[in-house]
Amino acid sequence: MLRKMITLVLAACVALSVPFARADAAVEIVFWHSMTETAGESLENLVEEFNRTVGAEKGIHVTAVYQGAYTEAVTKMNGMLSAGRPDTLPDVMQLDATGKVVYGAAEAAYTADDLLAERPDADLSDYLPPALKNWNLNGVQLGIPFATSTTVTYYNKTVLDSFGVPAPVTLQDIGEIKAAVGDGYTVYAAVPNTPTLNNWLGQMGSDLVNRRNGSEGTADGLACVENGALLTFLTVWKDLYATGALDNADASTDAFAAGKLLVMTSSSSKVAGLLDRIDGRFELGVCAYPRVNAEAAGGATVSGSCLVMFDHGETRRQAAWELVSYLCGAEAQVSFARATGYIPGCFSALESGAWRDFVAENPQYEAAALQLTDTPDTMLSATVGPSADFYYAVMNDISDMLLDDLTPEETAEMMADDLGGMLEIYARNNR
Amino acid sequence: MNARRKIRKNARSALWSVLCFCLAVPVVFPVLYAFLGSFRTAGEFSRLPPALFPDSFLNFDSYVQVFTRVPMARYFLNSLGTTALVCAVKLCLSILAAYAFAFYDFRLKNLLFVLILGTMMLPADTLIITNYRTVSRLGLTNTWLGVAVVSFAGASQMFMLRQAFTQAPRALRDAAFLDGCGDMRFLWRILVPVCRPVVITLLMQVFVAQWNAYLWPLMVTDSDAMRTVQVGITMLTGAEDTNYQVVLAGACAAMVPPVVLFITVRNRLTASMTRGAVSD
Amino acid sequence: MRTVTLGADRGISARARAGRRMKPYLFILPILLFAVGFVYYPFFRTFLYSFSAVNVMGEITSFAGFDNYRYLFSRREFCAAISNTLRLTAMNVPLTMLITLLLGRLLKEKRFLCGLFETMIAATMAVSMGSAALTFRVMLNPTVGWINSVLGIGVRWYEDRNTALYGILLLTVWMGIGFNFLLFLAAFRNVDRDVTDQARLDGAGTARVFFSVELPLVSPTLLYALCTNTILALMTSGPVMILTKGGPSRSTTTLIYLMYTTGYGSGNYAMAACVAAVTFLLTLAFTLAGLWADGKRGDAK
Repeated sequence: MLRKMITLVLAACVALSVPFARADAAVEIVFWHSMTETAGESLENLVEEFNRTVGAEKGIHVTAVYQGAYTEAVTKMNGMLSAGRPDTLPDVMQLDATGKVVYGAAEAAYTADDLLAERPDADLSDYLPPALKNWNLNGVQLGIPFATSTTVTYYNKTVLDSFGVPAPVTLQDIGEIKAAVGDGYTVYAAVPNTPTLNNWLGQMGSDLVNRRNGSEGTADGLACVENGALLTFLTVWKDLYATGALDNADASTDAFAAGKLLVMTSSSSKVAGLLDRIDGRFELGVCAYPRVNAEAAGGATVSGSCLVMFDHGETRRQAAWELVSYLCGAEAQVSFARATGYIPGCFSALESGAWRDFVAENPQYEAAALQLTDTPDTMLSATVGPSADFYYAVMNDISDMLLDDLTPEETAEMMADDLGGMLEIYARNNR
Repeated sequence: MNARRKIRKNARSALWSVLCFCLAVPVVFPVLYAFLGSFRTAGEFSRLPPALFPDSFLNFDSYVQVFTRVPMARYFLNSLGTTALVCAVKLCLSILAAYAFAFYDFRLKNLLFVLILGTMMLPADTLIITNYRTVSRLGLTNTWLGVAVVSFAGASQMFMLRQAFTQAPRALRDAAFLDGCGDMRFLWRILVPVCRPVVITLLMQVFVAQWNAYLWPLMVTDSDAMRTVQVGITMLTGAEDTNYQVVLAGACAAMVPPVVLFITVRNRLTASMTRGAVSD
Repeated sequence: MRTVTLGADRGISARARAGRRMKPYLFILPILLFAVGFVYYPFFRTFLYSFSAVNVMGEITSFAGFDNYRYLFSRREFCAAISNTLRLTAMNVPLTMLITLLLGRLLKEKRFLCGLFETMIAATMAVSMGSAALTFRVMLNPTVGWINSVLGIGVRWYEDRNTALYGILLLTVWMGIGFNFLLFLAAFRNVDRDVTDQARLDGAGTARVFFSVELPLVSPTLLYALCTNTILALMTSGPVMILTKGGPSRSTTTLIYLMYTTGYGSGNYAMAACVAAVTFLLTLAFTLAGLWADGKRGDAK
């Protein structure tokens, strides 16, 4: 039986290895993406739209392929590069912050700067500067912002209204919500991590790590200890915990959608999914990321992903740029933003009639875009080498402060040791 | 007297059934929960108080999504193909090796045994990049063989088969060899059938493990035409996002082939008749 | 035909004997080829990393001796990972074995509805890790999960550092039930009826028969289950990655999970190699101890 099975399987194997035939087009290009759920569907529709319109006109056919989560796609890119097979890389790829370094070092990369050098007519001035800046590594513009998001505050408007409390502006305001609503609800659940801590520090004019938050070289130490910003934040955080408003746990979308958790801070790209989950049981409010205190500036940094290109000869390069400028252009960005909650990444999209009409009817989608324009230029997202370790160490150290009742001073010292050591070792390995 | 014994026997049987039922239900409960969850809507998942049953069993939206958003039929075929390939080769190789370890004495026996067993103790993810290089150089990316080839060495199966083979009566082999059987004939015609329950159990194990593999099949295939079911299901749901019902629907759909396989082979889990015949 | 072959054998007996000596190696060769090509070769490449300084591109930049190991051992996360992994293993293995031994023995005799129960229990092994983890996350959710609400308890499962590890344990034990159950079921059904009947005739009760007849007869399966469950438990990472990310407060960080965060997640391939090497040695030690103890027992017989 086994022998028969093997023969059968091998035969089938050969038969099925023949690649699928594709429609004839002058240029075939491949696009890897990492979008799932609604976002994935919306993105695939956009690619189809491209094939039908611009593509058909210019003889370009794009095949969009899901390549797993961002990190999985990066592992794969890494594998292809280390196997010496850059020819198997796609023409266009969706990349998040974790892939910046590897992409930046790849010889096959066709960065936005390479593009500008080759085609003086290409123009990046339409893309939002904070989003564009996010995809710049050591002075090289790698890619074009595609899925742009930021961290915003979601709140249960129905319940807050019923107690007559306004949407929170500062962390202290969150403490006051607790006083108003009493014990029936959890007010706010969060454990600070790299980007959220960086936001709060940035509001006070401080970077999280040195070398301009890692944008001008590999960071090898913290930048928020000596200026006291970290200590200020930790003090505010501990005070908030003392009011009972803060639950020392990751914000739970489940609890929030069930109406048990009143305030959470999370990615703006969650709006559409969250509205589905809430299913009309209460009104969802969305406002700017909370400020550390009344003196701090507002705002939060940008995150999300960009589109990068690889060089497969001149014709394919040009076709790739056609696709990228289409997907990052006004029309596609508005339609992608409407389906998901990501922020349109270019001015022409934000100023378009389609977007204005949409946010007039769906105000929940507007807070993120407004916040992006309010965020001071000096606030950069933190590029940290040992990203996962750093992320969880921030969470663990701050949660230790609350659970083991350490003073903010002790905690700041511990973090300086713990996080600083990590950065130092990474910098040494990557000199 | 006889009637009384019969009643007692029936009572025991009933008690046994109740006991089994009480044990089996909690074990299978998460599966039921997933099945019930696949009929819910996104909103139902965060409604209080939590309910066990969905509002409507006619809400097939999630299943429709699973089968229409991605070319699921093609993915099923790929999963079946790669899984069958792995099952066949992995079991053959481990049967051969287990036979040597069970019936032969040779110099490097212990060392080789531990060496093969050691493959279980290395996290697969440390191997991915190098294996990608190897498979890519062999020109096997985007093929079923490329997906399957890294799973051909089955240490765990080899170990279990060795255990089973050493238990088989020695007389069996002597008798077979006296009858002029060679190693191969004895192994495939007598030993494997005698150990059928174990082989079938391992077949189930290998099938399920390969059927549910995710990371490697994703890495080694680039095109939609070669993707497997688990990769397809992940496309429908974000890593930590909110589409619980679709994931659960995908999980339930993906469970069908292994469960069908189990039901087909279930009766073969009992020892075959050869056993009694030989021990005489 | 047969006699001809025998005659030929006798003619070249020296060569035949040499061939016979080579035979076991030939049987092992195929599996060994794949083991070396797709497991040991890639592992040794990464193993070299653990003694080197490696940059984020995965290139070795210099020799580092034991620096990586020293740094690893100094991390608080590493101590937590060792302790969590060992605790998880110490609870998982006996629990899984006890539950599945019981189930396997109970369902040994084919009775009414037996097939249904068998299928119900075995069906659990068809669920993939990802789906199982997600199901547990929804089921055990403190707010919207059905379990807490029906039992009327306020346990926060994966959100509390005192209970998260038990939540992981629950999932890993559940994941192991299906396969182990089938193994034991097959083993118990393979026990010769004559032997148990004889013991019963000699006046042994059910418990006595179980402990002194059936259990020794399934001991090869028992050894296998013990070894593989230990290996699997020591290498737990999937549920942690999906459900808790090692938290809250490092309470569920396991060794292989640490390998991901400290290694791949943080661009430090050398550290990933260190953790993999440590885990390998630990696992190997446990397995060798198991095999050695079994060999001893076999000799004593």
